[in-house]
Amino acid sequence: MQQRRTIDQIHTNRVLLNGQLDTPKWWAPTVIVLGIIVAIGFFMIGIMVNKGLGVTGLSRPVYWGLFITTFVFWVGISHAGIMISAILRLSQAEWRRPVTRAAELLTVFSLLTALMFPLMHAGRPWRIIYFILPYDFARGIMPNIRSPLIWDPVAISTYLTGSTLFLYIALLPDLGNLRDRTTGWQNALYTILSLGWRGNPRQWKLQTVGGILLSALMLPIFVSVHSIVSWDFAVTPAVEGWHSTIFAPYFVIGAVHSGVSAVVTMMALMRWLWKWEDFIRPEHFDALARLLIVVATGWLAFTFLELIFAVYGLDAPELALRELQIFQWPWNILFITFVITGYIIPVGMWLQKSVRNNIALMFWSSLFVNIGMWLERFLIIVPGLARKTPFVYTWESYRPSGLEWFILFWSLAWVTFLMLLFSRFFPLVPLFEQKESQTFSDSIKIGRVKVPAIVREAD
Amino acid sequence: MSKSVLGLYSDPNQAADAMDALKGAGFPLGTFDVLTGTPYPEGAFGEHVPQHRLFRFPAFGAIIGFTLAIFLTAATQIAYPLVTGGKPILSLFAMLVILYEMSMLSAVISTVVGIVIESRLPNVNPGIYDNRITEGLIGVVITTDDDKSDTAIDALNSAGAMEIKQA
Amino acid sequence: MASEAIHSGAQADAHSGTHEEAHHELPARVEPDVITSELVASTDSNSTGVRNWMWILGIVTLVGIGVGFAKLLIEWGDQSEWGYTAAMVAFLFSVFGGAPLVAIAPTLAKANWVRPVARFAALCSLASIVCTIWMIPLILNLPMLVVDGARRRSIWFEGPDVSPHMWALVSMITLIIAALGLIYAYAIPDFAAMRDHSTGWKQRFGSWMARGWIGTTIQWRTLRLRIGMMGTLYFFTFVFVHFVISTDFAMSLVPGWRDAIFPMYHAISSIQAGLAVTVLGLWAARRYMGMDKYLHLDQFWSIGRLMFAFTLLWGYFFISAFIVYWYGRSGSDKMWIDYLILGPYFWVFILGVLFIWFTPWWWLIWNRVRRSYNGTAIGAGLILFGVFLDRVRLYVAAWAVPEDRIHERFLTEYPSAVLPDVMDLFIMVGALAGCVFIVLAATRVLPILSIWDVQQFNLLYRPVNYMRTKVSLIGKPD
Repeated sequence: MQQRRTIDQIHTNRVLLNGQLDTPKWWAPTVIVLGIIVAIGFFMIGIMVNKGLGVTGLSRPVYWGLFITTFVFWVGISHAGIMISAILRLSQAEWRRPVTRAAELLTVFSLLTALMFPLMHAGRPWRIIYFILPYDFARGIMPNIRSPLIWDPVAISTYLTGSTLFLYIALLPDLGNLRDRTTGWQNALYTILSLGWRGNPRQWKLQTVGGILLSALMLPIFVSVHSIVSWDFAVTPAVEGWHSTIFAPYFVIGAVHSGVSAVVTMMALMRWLWKWEDFIRPEHFDALARLLIVVATGWLAFTFLELIFAVYGLDAPELALRELQIFQWPWNILFITFVITGYIIPVGMWLQKSVRNNIALMFWSSLFVNIGMWLERFLIIVPGLARKTPFVYTWESYRPSGLEWFILFWSLAWVTFLMLLFSRFFPLVPLFEQKESQTFSDSIKIGRVKVPAIVREAD
Repeated sequence: MSKSVLGLYSDPNQAADAMDALKGAGFPLGTFDVLTGTPYPEGAFGEHVPQHRLFRFPAFGAIIGFTLAIFLTAATQIAYPLVTGGKPILSLFAMLVILYEMSMLSAVISTVVGIVIESRLPNVNPGIYDNRITEGLIGVVITTDDDKSDTAIDALNSAGAMEIKQA
Repeated sequence: MASEAIHSGAQADAHSGTHEEAHHELPARVEPDVITSELVASTDSNSTGVRNWMWILGIVTLVGIGVGFAKLLIEWGDQSEWGYTAAMVAFLFSVFGGAPLVAIAPTLAKANWVRPVARFAALCSLASIVCTIWMIPLILNLPMLVVDGARRRSIWFEGPDVSPHMWALVSMITLIIAALGLIYAYAIPDFAAMRDHSTGWKQRFGSWMARGWIGTTIQWRTLRLRIGMMGTLYFFTFVFVHFVISTDFAMSLVPGWRDAIFPMYHAISSIQAGLAVTVLGLWAARRYMGMDKYLHLDQFWSIGRLMFAFTLLWGYFFISAFIVYWYGRSGSDKMWIDYLILGPYFWVFILGVLFIWFTPWWWLIWNRVRRSYNGTAIGAGLILFGVFLDRVRLYVAAWAVPEDRIHERFLTEYPSAVLPDVMDLFIMVGALAGCVFIVLAATRVLPILSIWDVQQFNLLYRPVNYMRTKVSLIGKPD
């Protein structure tokens, strides 16, 4: 399937820079509404800091609840960027081109959001500083680098810094483009940000080689981040259901599943909102859906292994936990919903070619995935804690408070708000990639037919 | 005094012809450059293929990061020697994650610095340029002595430049 | 417009000299009739080199099988004596079973470079026949599910007593069927070429196997569909066999070893080894079978990159398990480290890590190495040796645990190291020779490079002049 057509550079500039040069009418009202939700969310967080964590549903023994679930969820979403951008760049998949920027951006903003959850969950966020810096030189008390709770911020800030720099480097040619299309203060801003980009062969070569090198460096970081998040749980033998060797790759592949789905959601929105039908085409959704079938099935295999080796040991408490997690009210409903929305409905849909090429259906299927994946994290974290363990002599279930639900909702609004703000100043689809795909596309004549072809330079 | 001349072309083949004409007129490779709004296959214009040392940057960065991380992890544990689980105070596996992340972070940062430096950016005085290059025109730019600028302009025109700019 | 530039550029003849030096030459295209005649002729076993090798390998295989019988009679029921056979079967299955994935995954992703590689990678799966034969003595010596009146831990839970034995056999036979199906699905057009371009029994055989193939549009379409289906079947069976072998023939024999990542670890290192054996096979095909016209740096470069990625993945999967045990510190956690890592096989472990991970990592990281035939092949050799040591460490240790300890919560006393005896050496060499023999024998029937895939590669690949440089055009149909 090749829906590509020849588009000249002036048209590409006009359409893909419409967010910056000709801001759509819906933009301002949407940003204002989202801004209000974000402000209310911050107010709620303020209330929580003021009153303490008693305003949440958290209580012994369930001391990790909706906040940590949502933290893991956003770290998972952040895996979209590098998955799409780095792996597809290294494998030279042509269809990556319109997707990369938005995916990287999603990485940056979802990581920023993820980082806020452990902060607010700490109850007194300012005390986090003692986590990071030596707080008492006289007594020599230092951050405990042996603790996974220190690994987490280190890994996430590495990933965040790397992704932001990666995003910026890949933005340089487009900043040069915006500099050439703007006047006044905007021109001054883009002139500074584009660092004097001219587009000579040296700069293009470094852009290409640097992109590949950064992809190769970001890839191992991307794998490490969710692995380290998983070790928050897995290195703890005290909580049933957490101490499993498969957690690291299981979390990573789950993150890719939810992250790539989130990219599908975002691409559909971009196509609808900015009217980028020429650039974000059904063939891109088709390719993403095929990739997602593979990822989702791999993830299902990991889920299966996680479950089967949990019961393999035949330890009574572990068996009881799985009984609770899968068969007992209300977890059973959550578990069934998780399986149905995380795999059965979306993959069942993606197997149909008509669905893969239908943007509205792809949009809804990708939302299903993320409902399922959020539930997966909830089911991993909470039931294990809810059971009485040797160190916590109490049984308690957990019901998130209204405030916690609102903060979950706030995080969605917050990420969307940041994305929209970004779109006002920077293009969401990389223009130079789009133009490059035009330069590097050709066709081969075989008999009577012209087969689309790609120009490849010798390695 | 040196002078910069920019020829603008709508067809990439004309730009390649202009590069050939400049070569033919005796200007050495490397004194003229081609400006485009999109990457072309390397050598497409017969241009001087740029050499770079980008691959050294991540290696250098990783070594720095690793060394710093060894220092940080070792120093904090020695400064507060708390035995955990009967393991030695300096246990490699407890330090592994920090060592890894700091090496990678440092490698990424130095790669980005490398990309910027090797791209010869930031370029405070970018020189002669035309905004239409990011709209698809190809620019061939040459900086030469005043007395040779006419030869350069002739060469650029011979390939069918749609416009010549001088600065 | 850029696309026009390509066409007009394609006719331009001058190109820059400076650019050429930085890269390797683009491979030249070969005429279609030359491809068919050369590749059909390559199946000829008249060359003395191939014939001698087949004799040697065949004899070594048979000696190995004979020694296996003898061992079965002498050491029946002594589980610890079969560790090396188990390690060898796991190793050979990992190596040769993993190779077809090299063909399947990039084919499904429509990568053009993989076409000349697909046949050899698929043929490697035939070695699963040898593995199945060698699995029989292992199955005969594997403990039942109920030992001394109580059930041991296993993935079969309340299943029949012989579940591990039965499923191992069933899954291996399914894999053989999938492998044959995959090879056949790939080979139909080549059988037709054999029918049209050979004489004697090969012509009759080709004619029978080609099933009237004349290359109509419908036939090509169903061929692709069939390859896709058989590839998917092979992949799922492959994963299942790894799950069964790694748990039933290693993990469940050691009380307290509960390792959810282990089947995936096993499969990942198998793909790593499959890539390595493919590289070695292609290297040999270039060197000894005159295939250098069809196999280029493109193939070695691409597989080299994948091999590098899977080498790093091995490290990741290992550390994912290790760190959980290291931090866990429960009795069974400590057992895993003390017995399988630091225990009697410590040096095997160290050497294994060196060869499966550390050395190939720092070898294959260099572009210059991956851009050379010999460099990639050396990397492949390192990996294969590393995977062998890894299997020895895991399987010999697992089989050394006496049956009467199987109900312990976790192993508390560790059996001492088991060294291979002379019979083990004969068996291991014989099994390896058997796998190489069966693949080599298959190349006497089907060409080591698939004719139609090489034709297709040529059809969709064009070296062209692009303005002042040379590039290749890769066609992307569909």
